[in-house]
Amino acid sequence: MKTTLFRLVPMVLAACALVAAQTPAGYTNFIRQIQSPSGVQWDATVAATGEQLSPLPVDLGGTRFELWTVKASPLTSYLLDTCLVGTFVPVAFVEIHSEDPYRPIPRTRADRPFSVDITVSGLLGGPTDPVSSRGVNLLRHVQSYGVGGTGAEIDRNQATLLPQAAITQNGTRTLSYALTSIPGADRTKVRGEERFSVFSLQDYQTPEAQIASQYIQIWPVADGSLSGLSAGQLIRFAMPQITVTLNDLYPSSTTYVQAYQGDPRLGVTGKTIPGSVLVTNDVLPQSRVLTLKDYDAVFDEEGRWTMEIVTVTPFGSDRLTHVSFDVARIIKVNSTLTTIE
Amino acid sequence: MCGLHAGLGLAASPAMQDAATHEQLAAQLRKIQQQDPMQLLPASQSGEASRHAPKDLLSQSDILCFGGLATLVPKRSVLRIPPNLAPRMQITPGATLMGWSEFFAQNRGWITTVELSQGQAEGKLPLAEDLTKSLVDNPNLVVATYQGGPISLMPLKVPPPAAAVDPKTEKSKP
Repeated sequence: MKTTLFRLVPMVLAACALVAAQTPAGYTNFIRQIQSPSGVQWDATVAATGEQLSPLPVDLGGTRFELWTVKASPLTSYLLDTCLVGTFVPVAFVEIHSEDPYRPIPRTRADRPFSVDITVSGLLGGPTDPVSSRGVNLLRHVQSYGVGGTGAEIDRNQATLLPQAAITQNGTRTLSYALTSIPGADRTKVRGEERFSVFSLQDYQTPEAQIASQYIQIWPVADGSLSGLSAGQLIRFAMPQITVTLNDLYPSSTTYVQAYQGDPRLGVTGKTIPGSVLVTNDVLPQSRVLTLKDYDAVFDEEGRWTMEIVTVTPFGSDRLTHVSFDVARIIKVNSTLTTIE
Repeated sequence: MCGLHAGLGLAASPAMQDAATHEQLAAQLRKIQQQDPMQLLPASQSGEASRHAPKDLLSQSDILCFGGLATLVPKRSVLRIPPNLAPRMQITPGATLMGWSEFFAQNRGWITTVELSQGQAEGKLPLAEDLTKSLVDNPNLVVATYQGGPISLMPLKVPPPAAAVDPKTEKSKP
């Protein structure tokens, strides 16, 4: 049996190498091998690519491989993947998909859907088969990061466990969620993570243990405001200075202020206000305040205009706010010319 | 602004929409909570599984840091910390984190490794006496390794002393 188990180990490391290659700069990967029931931990150095055999034999209670990525500043560790190898332990994979292709940690927005693929193999159905081989448990945890939270240094033991399910048949199941269930009073400002984990069943020689797990980060919906310009305002002279307040811009987004003639209409491509384009490519939502001035050249026609904030994300284009006003710079002089002979 | 869409990998300029509101999302959440896909699977009665979830790597590791380089090793793998080297078990701001082998290659001057067997790491076998003695006088920080990788050293499991057998009781047994 050990021969079979040793064959599984390189698979783990190969999968980890794939993630390592995709890890952004500033993160370092570690694989930790944890023996059960002894609790011995062994550090396996991870190369960027390739695979390796673990020299540490798999114990009777199984061996868990944990793939972590660690950020040096601030010192924070993120669990990317786990794999449990044991004599009668089924194999499971959890893969979360969202509309945002960012990796290694899947992410999406509080108003967007995601799906979870749970693949289980190696389950046995015989009445004499060990308990640990007959099924696995699927757990779903949700945890809020709190207002302005980033997920760093949170106690994941405090996550809320939602009703769990049992899986007793091999195969892949896809769970689709229209949006997150992370608790929060304002549903647009929810930020946190959802974790899906597969646990083995306990029997006389193997404890209940996590076989596979993955989580998705949920970031809030952005909002914005334009101050310095009010709805229905009549602009006769120079355009006023505007303050643009942007909150919780999605980590991968481009946000700008545009203007077009007429009343508000969705989907109109207007003229971009100079100095208003903000490109965000980060791992956390961003908030900014911009000041716009000297943009009169954009308003080259008289009449009703609409100015709006648009943010473009992997989910599409969203209008955050808009304001309509009138531009009337023509000065009408009513005069009378009189001559006397 | 087509370039903005292309830069984000969108296939085509999608229809613009107003940002979602709390009311919209709250109504949608109420609806989907009644259609949780996990409810289609058999319910599980095991309520304790989450206790066995992996613990944070940092809480299970010791930090070694020197000269702007740092690494993580399993707790209980550092066997000796000379007082003058204790400050090197804290990360310094701006340090570059790296794997053990890369870190050790550049810090052999103050780190000594001790190769353990699996039985020793599990606490089933004691460390050799001469090794235990040499640890005391070693001026370097000592890390336990298995096949070159840092490994935790579990407390020695001393076998329970054999129960004293009363010969009379033994004889009276059928």
